[in-house]
Amino acid sequence: MNLDAAQLNRRTLLKRGALGALAFEVGGRAVMLTAAEARAESLPLIVLSAEEAGLVDALGRAVVPGADEAGLVHYLDHQFAGDPGAALLMLRYMDVPPPYADFYRAGLNGVDATAKREFGRSLPALDEDEAHTLVGMITGGDPEGWEGPPAALFYFIFRADAVDVTYGTVEGFERLGVPYVPHIAPLEQW
Amino acid sequence: MDKFSSEKVDVVIVGAGASGSLIAARLAEAGKSVVLLDAGPGWVADDLISSQIWARRLRWGGAPVQSVGGHPYAFTFNAGWGLGGAALHHYGTWPRLHEEDFRVKSLYGKALDWPVSYEDLQPFYDRIQEEVGVAGDAKAEIWRPEGAPYPLPPVPSFGQGEIIAKGFEALGMTTAPAPMAVLTEPYKGRPACVYDGWCDAGCPINALWNPLISYLPRAREAGADIRPRSTVLRVLSEGTRATGVEYINAESGITVQHASLVILAASAVLNPALLLNSASDTHPDGLANSSGKVGRYFMAHAIASVYGLFEEETAVSLGLTGAQLTCRDGYKKDLREGMLGSYQWLIAPAMKPNDLLGIATARADLYGKPLEDFMRQAVNHMGNMIAMVEELPVEENRIELSEDRDANGMRIPRIVHAFSDDALKVWGYAKAEGLAVFEAAGADQPWNGPLGSAHMMGGTIMGDDRTASVTDSYGRTHDIPNLVIAGPGLFPTSGANNPTFTLHAVTLRATDHMIGHWSDYAG
Repeated sequence: MNLDAAQLNRRTLLKRGALGALAFEVGGRAVMLTAAEARAESLPLIVLSAEEAGLVDALGRAVVPGADEAGLVHYLDHQFAGDPGAALLMLRYMDVPPPYADFYRAGLNGVDATAKREFGRSLPALDEDEAHTLVGMITGGDPEGWEGPPAALFYFIFRADAVDVTYGTVEGFERLGVPYVPHIAPLEQW
Repeated sequence: MDKFSSEKVDVVIVGAGASGSLIAARLAEAGKSVVLLDAGPGWVADDLISSQIWARRLRWGGAPVQSVGGHPYAFTFNAGWGLGGAALHHYGTWPRLHEEDFRVKSLYGKALDWPVSYEDLQPFYDRIQEEVGVAGDAKAEIWRPEGAPYPLPPVPSFGQGEIIAKGFEALGMTTAPAPMAVLTEPYKGRPACVYDGWCDAGCPINALWNPLISYLPRAREAGADIRPRSTVLRVLSEGTRATGVEYINAESGITVQHASLVILAASAVLNPALLLNSASDTHPDGLANSSGKVGRYFMAHAIASVYGLFEEETAVSLGLTGAQLTCRDGYKKDLREGMLGSYQWLIAPAMKPNDLLGIATARADLYGKPLEDFMRQAVNHMGNMIAMVEELPVEENRIELSEDRDANGMRIPRIVHAFSDDALKVWGYAKAEGLAVFEAAGADQPWNGPLGSAHMMGGTIMGDDRTASVTDSYGRTHDIPNLVIAGPGLFPTSGANNPTFTLHAVTLRATDHMIGHWSDYAG
């Protein structure tokens, strides 16, 4: 896929906004892309480091199959870089004060430290079964030696974001066979 | 930072949600000069994107609010952000409170009484439902108190609604179409609902009522000055008179808006926080707080959720986020031994795959392939309902100020909340009943969700005794006659019914009184 920003006129942007696209910067211009498109385009990350992105990818894949390809890394990075008052993250509902990236960094570090302690390897290096086991260790509470936000809360929040990008978009609905039937396409501000 | 005063107006209102918008429209139409301030964005209908992800923009996005206690209250999810307030994302389930809700102390020796009765409010319920367009079947709602029939025919029942109703019927229980502020046919120039289940994200076609549809346009047309992105920092006062408010927005910096009448309609959490943050030498414990009750008796509804998978197709993603059907067989408060409190069933809310009330969250324990398998089955075969459980007023449940401060230097609110034993017992009773209903309806291994909380009430309760309440029955503070509180923060009890209809009725009654007794308010 190779999207040309110049080919996206405003009307197209509006329609794409309704379908779950976000405004990413490409070559100094705002372009509406879905998180999956941003990932496919390898758009540079703003807040997350490459290492952190690797953790998000690996954990996302283990929690919600397809979350990595749906663009979870770019979705979270985009949200962390924006105005917290306009954030779309589930964390917003938990009355956790911004900056939201701090919560995720602490949680990801906690999960990765647990992976190293339990399996002797970093999270991205775990195989599918090991990653599944690791996720199970954080669902019910803090694993031994855990440092970070409450493990169960981090799991809940991270899972919800992964569910959003995987199942909560038009593509996600289609994947599940659910009719999206949006009410109305926005006419402005998108 | 710039600081300047603007011209004195008759009324300044803080908060452009349901109450603030209604008051702004009525007072502006009565010829009063009105300034309406809201901390959040100036939403318009086209902003209401059909997406559970984008719907989060409609929730509180201002300064942090702390939530502590045995059952911390989920403020952001329940609060609004911007014009329309929480009513912009509310689900439009509009039952009236019952007669007994207004006389809990008198009838049961516990909790509080309202200073008004159902009979006092009934004409205002009737007026509001005609204006807004409420759909329902008054006769089928055998529990409904006296009142005019609904102006619109009831919402339809289909898919999961029809399936779950059979469970209630098998147990000898009654269901009726849920009373909804949703148009089932065109009404006053607005179109009928198409039942696509996006209510939580706001309804851009105006089938589901919200303040953007009428009150805010009416207020503007009548000359009200509506200022979004304007965060009120404190109420200003001299002696026993409020003189205006101090607020901040990006354009003007810190601004003083003088007014003859100050009305706080910011929410059951932010109103008391504002009063407490407005302490002065004359009012060292906060404005309107000679009783010490500002912030006290905060209430939420306890939520018991029931889920199940059915053999039949349930069309769970469609319909209404609120409910298709209701059952209030369990509403009478003293039906159950050893516990006091009402509950209602809201049957067959629409669920999208994601979000806090979505399908995936109903099995938050699942991840990996089991989650994928569950999702594929549940999107076609899941049913759900929730019990909304009364919380009786407890003084220790409160809004107070944290020592932490926001970016403007104001102490941020802290909600201290734990459900009472009565509420928890009724919640447990309802959970078990819900499972029985689902089993009777044919669900395979139904399950309950965790304890949830919804709505916010109390914190600035009304009452006849000025030593035990903050305002009179019209929301006028006992201490400061030109300072009025509006919204569900006035409720002395919560009942088990969604509060939006009642807050409209209470506000309409108060507004009539303001207009009819203007000199008493504005002096």
